[in-house]
Amino acid sequence: MITRWGRAALVGASALLLAACGSTADTGSSGTSGAGGVKTDKGVTDSTITLGVMTDRTGVFKNLGDALTGGNELWVKDINAAGGICGRQLALEIVDHGYKADTAKTLYPQLEPKILGITQLVGSPVLAALKQNLVDDNVLTAPASWSSEVLNNPNVMMIGTTYDVEIIDGLSYFQQQGFIADGDTIGHIYIDGEYGGNGLRGSKYYAEKHNLTVQEAKITSTDNDLANIVTGLKGAGVKAIVLTTTPGQTASAMANNAALGLNVPVLGNNPTFDPALLSSPAAASLDRLYVAASSAPFSSKTPKAAEVAAEYKATYPGRPANAGVQAGYVESLVWQSVLQKACENGDLTRAGVQSALKSLTSVSTDDLVAPLDYSSPGAPPTRGVYIAKVDQAAEGGLTEVAPLFTAPDAADYKAPHQQP
Amino acid sequence: MSDTLVETPVPVEPARKRRNWAKIAGVAALLVVLVFFPVITGTEVAYLKAGQYVLIGVVGAVGLTLLVGQAGQLSLAHPFFLLVGAVSYAVLAGDAGESGDLVGLGLPPLVAMIGAVAICALVGLAFAPVSGRLRGIYLGVASLSLVFLGLYLGQSLDMLSGGTSSGRPPPTFEVFGFRFANTEPAPTIMGVAIQKQQRLWYLFLVIAIGSYLLARGAVRSRVGRAWRAVRDNEAAATAMGVRVWWSKAQAFTVSSAFAGMAGVLTALWLDLVKPDENEFIGTYSITVAIGYLAMVLIGGLGSIPGAVAGAVVVNGLPQLLTLGATEFGWFASAGAGGLSPVLVSAFVYGAAIVLVVLFEPGGLAAIGRRLTSRQGDRR
Amino acid sequence: MNTFLQLVLNGLGKGAVYALLALGFVIIFKATEVVNFAHGSLVLIGGYFVYATKDALGWAGAAALGIVSAAVAALLIERLLITNARNADVNSLALLTIGVDVIVTEEIVRRLGADIPFVGDPYDALPLQFAGLTVFRTQLVALIVGIVLITAFFLAFRFSTWGVAMRAQAENKEAAALMGIRSSRVTATAWLLAGALAGVAVLFMATQDFSGAGLGRGTHAIALIAFPAAILGGLDSTVGAVVGGLIVGLTEALSAQYISFEFSKSAVFLVMLVILVIWPSGLFGTRELSRV
Repeated sequence: MITRWGRAALVGASALLLAACGSTADTGSSGTSGAGGVKTDKGVTDSTITLGVMTDRTGVFKNLGDALTGGNELWVKDINAAGGICGRQLALEIVDHGYKADTAKTLYPQLEPKILGITQLVGSPVLAALKQNLVDDNVLTAPASWSSEVLNNPNVMMIGTTYDVEIIDGLSYFQQQGFIADGDTIGHIYIDGEYGGNGLRGSKYYAEKHNLTVQEAKITSTDNDLANIVTGLKGAGVKAIVLTTTPGQTASAMANNAALGLNVPVLGNNPTFDPALLSSPAAASLDRLYVAASSAPFSSKTPKAAEVAAEYKATYPGRPANAGVQAGYVESLVWQSVLQKACENGDLTRAGVQSALKSLTSVSTDDLVAPLDYSSPGAPPTRGVYIAKVDQAAEGGLTEVAPLFTAPDAADYKAPHQQP
Repeated sequence: MSDTLVETPVPVEPARKRRNWAKIAGVAALLVVLVFFPVITGTEVAYLKAGQYVLIGVVGAVGLTLLVGQAGQLSLAHPFFLLVGAVSYAVLAGDAGESGDLVGLGLPPLVAMIGAVAICALVGLAFAPVSGRLRGIYLGVASLSLVFLGLYLGQSLDMLSGGTSSGRPPPTFEVFGFRFANTEPAPTIMGVAIQKQQRLWYLFLVIAIGSYLLARGAVRSRVGRAWRAVRDNEAAATAMGVRVWWSKAQAFTVSSAFAGMAGVLTALWLDLVKPDENEFIGTYSITVAIGYLAMVLIGGLGSIPGAVAGAVVVNGLPQLLTLGATEFGWFASAGAGGLSPVLVSAFVYGAAIVLVVLFEPGGLAAIGRRLTSRQGDRR
Repeated sequence: MNTFLQLVLNGLGKGAVYALLALGFVIIFKATEVVNFAHGSLVLIGGYFVYATKDALGWAGAAALGIVSAAVAALLIERLLITNARNADVNSLALLTIGVDVIVTEEIVRRLGADIPFVGDPYDALPLQFAGLTVFRTQLVALIVGIVLITAFFLAFRFSTWGVAMRAQAENKEAAALMGIRSSRVTATAWLLAGALAGVAVLFMATQDFSGAGLGRGTHAIALIAFPAAILGGLDSTVGAVVGGLIVGLTEALSAQYISFEFSKSAVFLVMLVILVIWPSGLFGTRELSRV
């Protein structure tokens, strides 16, 4: 009975629908002229430039998300105090997706009309789910993820170098120090996904160049007990271990490296280490961990990094302190260069911002990261890293052991989406 | 799972007509709202996105309630079939030439969608030796192994799934040349342009209504009666001439097909097919398995309208709360340790499960029935 | 060879803790025929109380409080919810515990905030070396405590009044009631004991040695891995729980090395699946009889 009436209702509704139908094209707006004769479209008014932040404040990366957002907010405060950009004040539109791609997918259409671009986007599942949206809407995005796999997206603005390059530089350092030699076996424990997989690409490249054998161990982000893996690596006689893992997994790898009597040097990059590990039961076994990263750590002596750290601690006393603060600040600093360039060109539209980015060949960030070159699409904007070693005595737990350098192997490396 | 939940239409003469009119008016009003939903949401596409997500839940939950409620087989394997459906669609419709190492057969999207559903049905059928032999909780935990297997296979077979790094984009859906993508110019309804998201809404709506009607047909047919007979007493069912093994396998197959369709829709909704990074959080994870189980429980086991209501609660609530959070500043104090929309939704549906089992084993469906049958004709 | 022996050691140590968890499922199932999906959240409650009171009470006091609180929480679930859902069948009750689990887990994880505390202070990350092999002290302590508790449980089950009453009830509920056995007391004791076992288990789970991570969602997840242990042994068999625990521990360790690490969790479930297809009620479980 309902079926028949349901069908009738459906037909009726369809008729209504048809009656209401028409056809118009979108008003194909390509920017209007605003204050100061600058062309604008979305996210920019005569008084304000709004940037989006899609962060994680309640999910698994809430510590990182809070620190990054803190860095973004500090920059907004600083830049507004200095009079803004292009005669406009800066504002952030912050949303929390809790590291869930489905939540982010719903939040995005709510956020998109309000912003010019995105200054922080946390989470590789989120970035993957929004990839097409970012391209369709031409939204320039600085992701808090440093995988060279995403560089095929023209709307991604990489800040610093990528995971694969960090590992190549780090292994070069290990060889230079005599930890490994051509023909050795090394282990690589990696989280399957953008982060770990991209790191592994670096190991494989270096291994090919130097005839190393790589014992790979694929894990998920929730596997925290690596005893069985390290047992296997010991059996394989590895001379060094590379990690692209979470800090908790790093602790397990280090603890087992010591407990099982393997005691080889271990190479990680920025996300592998968190100062909180120094108060975990694994603290005593961390001293063989080296970190290769293109950005300065929280405790860095680089003047700008120290200044940001001090300002952060004063402004947000309760919030977590980690390298995310400077990373967030530097994300926004690069945006600043882009916006200033776009303002000079008189075009603050999304397209204008894109072309401004491509014209930048050496963005300086007060040494928070190496100078960045955005003129060659698909390639990491820099290949330089610092090497730091875990040191209980140092503030933030890391001491710099090698200054900013680019290994010859890293310079020759061709990133997956690099144009020839 | 108990016989109190069986929905058997019993003819009740006197008040029937009046109630039918009320019901018809209700259904018509609901359909009008659904059809004009893109107009109501207008430029607030985010709410349309949330609505689409609810419809995906409807398709999946309707399939699960057939299995758990009608056939009495507890399954936590739904996310696995979502994954198989999503990947199958991408593989069948994908263009091989375009994307390097990925396998793509280049079939028309509509054929790929049907193929993906068929593949899921076959995989569900292949699980019959297990689902036919095990009962209750044993089957529940056994089916959970498929979720783990799905994670492993998704990560290993990246020529199919695209891998956990970047996944692969599902081809744009298309029926007889009509593309579910943005076009210039676009048709409009009452001034609202019918672009990609609006089109997807209508696609999802048609599929959800189709699923609803199919499931209801199955429940009222001979097949449904056999399922219920097997659920209530296998030995008695055998005595009545039901082939128990076949009936069980049938239920699992049908339910898997529904899940597969929900998987295809998930791929289209996310514009992405990508296996999860771990088994607990993600699109095809254990959390999702529990979410679907919660939908059918809250709605009332075995009830098709109940499954729809359950999908609205479990898939709709977190989305709406999240949107409200940014639009109206709810949960402003969220930060580490604060309440978040996701957390509040988890509390709500956790509590709903407990309350339903304690006080109303028939779920929202039973509550709904009681409300609509106020006029004294409790069946 | 050393690698193999080391893996067996790793596997047995973990298996002991899985056995403690599986025993918790089994005790509750025997007494009530309910499968307690909220076991993981009992583990979290125990761990949370240890973390919250460690500074004030010292580790030993906090550990004792943790065990008690997990036991009390289990009792509350039984008294407040399970016994009040009179007209629900056992499968619906199992689903009810899923609801409880969702709420408790989210709440504990929220309370932990950014902390992932370790709760195995006296023995964690202090490995012992023997003849080229490493014994993780946490695993060793867990194995000893596990053997003591499981033996004690077997004895109690066989000889104490409660044990006899529970076995009688598991055998035939109506007959047991006619013999004057107070069903509610037997059931309550079963939940209390299962909760206490969860409280003990967490002291080994949230450690560097065992899980490599402090208390959090991951701890809850480990309880899920213990599910196959209880199921493949047979939900109503205490021996099955112990054997199941060890099978899971060894399967995990050996398949991680000889197949691949990412396969090891699937391997546990696949082993369970194979066993279930051959013995639908697990290795030691009672075969279900169907009555017409």
